[in-house]
Amino acid sequence: MPCVRPCQIPGSSRVAAAATGPEPGAAYNLRHESNCELALSAPGIVVAGLRKRYGTVLALDGMSFSVRPGQVTGFVGPNGAGKSTTMRVILGLDAVEEGTALIGGLPYRGLRHPLHHVGSLLDAAAPHPGRSGRNHLLWLAHSQGLDVRRVDRVIEQAGLAPAARRKAGGYSLGMRQRLGIAAALLGDPPVVLLDEPFNGMDPDGIVWMRGLLRSLASEGRAVLVSSHLMGEMQHTADHLVVAGRGRAIADASVAELIAAASRGNGATLEDVYLRLTREAVEFRTGTSTEDRK
Amino acid sequence: MRPALHAEWTKARTVAGPLWLLLGTIAATVALSAGAVSVARCPCGDMAEVSLIGVDLGQALVVILAVLVIAGEYGTGMIRTTLTAMPHRSTVLAAKAAVLTGIVAAAGTVAVLGSLLAGRLILPGHVQPLTDGPTLRTALAAILYLTLIALLGLGVATAVRDSATSIGTVLGLLYVFPVLSQTIGDQHWQRLLQRITPMPDHLGVTAAWAGAALLSGALLLHLRDA
Repeated sequence: MPCVRPCQIPGSSRVAAAATGPEPGAAYNLRHESNCELALSAPGIVVAGLRKRYGTVLALDGMSFSVRPGQVTGFVGPNGAGKSTTMRVILGLDAVEEGTALIGGLPYRGLRHPLHHVGSLLDAAAPHPGRSGRNHLLWLAHSQGLDVRRVDRVIEQAGLAPAARRKAGGYSLGMRQRLGIAAALLGDPPVVLLDEPFNGMDPDGIVWMRGLLRSLASEGRAVLVSSHLMGEMQHTADHLVVAGRGRAIADASVAELIAAASRGNGATLEDVYLRLTREAVEFRTGTSTEDRK
Repeated sequence: MRPALHAEWTKARTVAGPLWLLLGTIAATVALSAGAVSVARCPCGDMAEVSLIGVDLGQALVVILAVLVIAGEYGTGMIRTTLTAMPHRSTVLAAKAAVLTGIVAAAGTVAVLGSLLAGRLILPGHVQPLTDGPTLRTALAAILYLTLIALLGLGVATAVRDSATSIGTVLGLLYVFPVLSQTIGDQHWQRLLQRITPMPDHLGVTAAWAGAALLSGALLLHLRDA
């Protein structure tokens, strides 16, 4: 089994630093060696100390958490808390000033054929309106050295078959989400990262999505899902990361969060969330909102 | 690099835009060339250059095609899908450039041969066949020019990331520079402007523009957040 050595990056996490081994500063490389347990102990996603500034706004301020395999990890928080930025950083789209985001021990931009490692659905990554859903998946497959059989497989899996040969411009939001899911599953990745997958889904779609997330996790994949729907997260997620002001203000299992908050009076995840983020929300809706613009 | 090329080729052939723009390039080039030859006064010597005047019009469609190859992706947000699938950004740009070069060179060849053929049909005896050295050289220069213009468009669009702005910028360079150089009074400036305007008989200058645009595009693509 090939062992993966992550590169050393200043300010990197405990996991990354420990896995750097005897040659500090060496670029990451793939090699066969006996000391594999470090890389294998960090499958899923490890985000450590991310810091990023857009002009005067501190978008990420020490965001750290990890996403474990075999679980659905919910990623929640008010608008502007840094969820989407964090996801873009994990996917190598945005650079950070400090910190690391590693997938199976490697930074995203060091992955060869990344869709075999991470599948992702991003809110702001629409397909070309003039291209059919199937052809959208086809170029993605070609970019990973996959062929059309895999495309037809994920079309079935995402329930996209009736619309696959229609132009994506005519898709409903729910259909677009299914196309995004099909794209995320294309490389059969061990890590799946979905930004607001419930957006625009009809009730059937929501039930389907819930089942899909559960089954992805039960197959041993690490699943990170951002959402604003606390009710949905309460039923789907095992673990929750609550973001606020650019960092993780809570990182615990859903059961623990509810138990800690309710003390026998039956609180829901929504209550917990509102209590946790009250400060972050006040901070943003107070005087500082105007100052930032 | 091969998967990236394959992906970009699949992208180019699975939407209608590129094909129509290439056909439009051929049609516009041949039509203007044929028109120019038919109104030319004779006796007129070698008409090869006149019969390729349509390239001046065809290049506009090449620019639109080239710009849309990347700015179209920024318009929809699909660039994020592209860069998550292929995180090595220079490879993405190189693959786009290669596919664009291929399709524009193919369409440019058809357009140039069509124009020369039209010239020979309209004014028999005045347009030399391709076996004639100077005619062959003019024809090859026109094809090369169209490919360089495509790369210029791709480079500018990678840097600017917006279709309308990129098309405006490149067409401005191609069409406003020559007009400016005609209207400007000062001889020194006139000559300078003429010398740095991309034209089929200024292949070196055109290549320099294309290279500079691609290089700055690549640099910005590498540095900026997607």
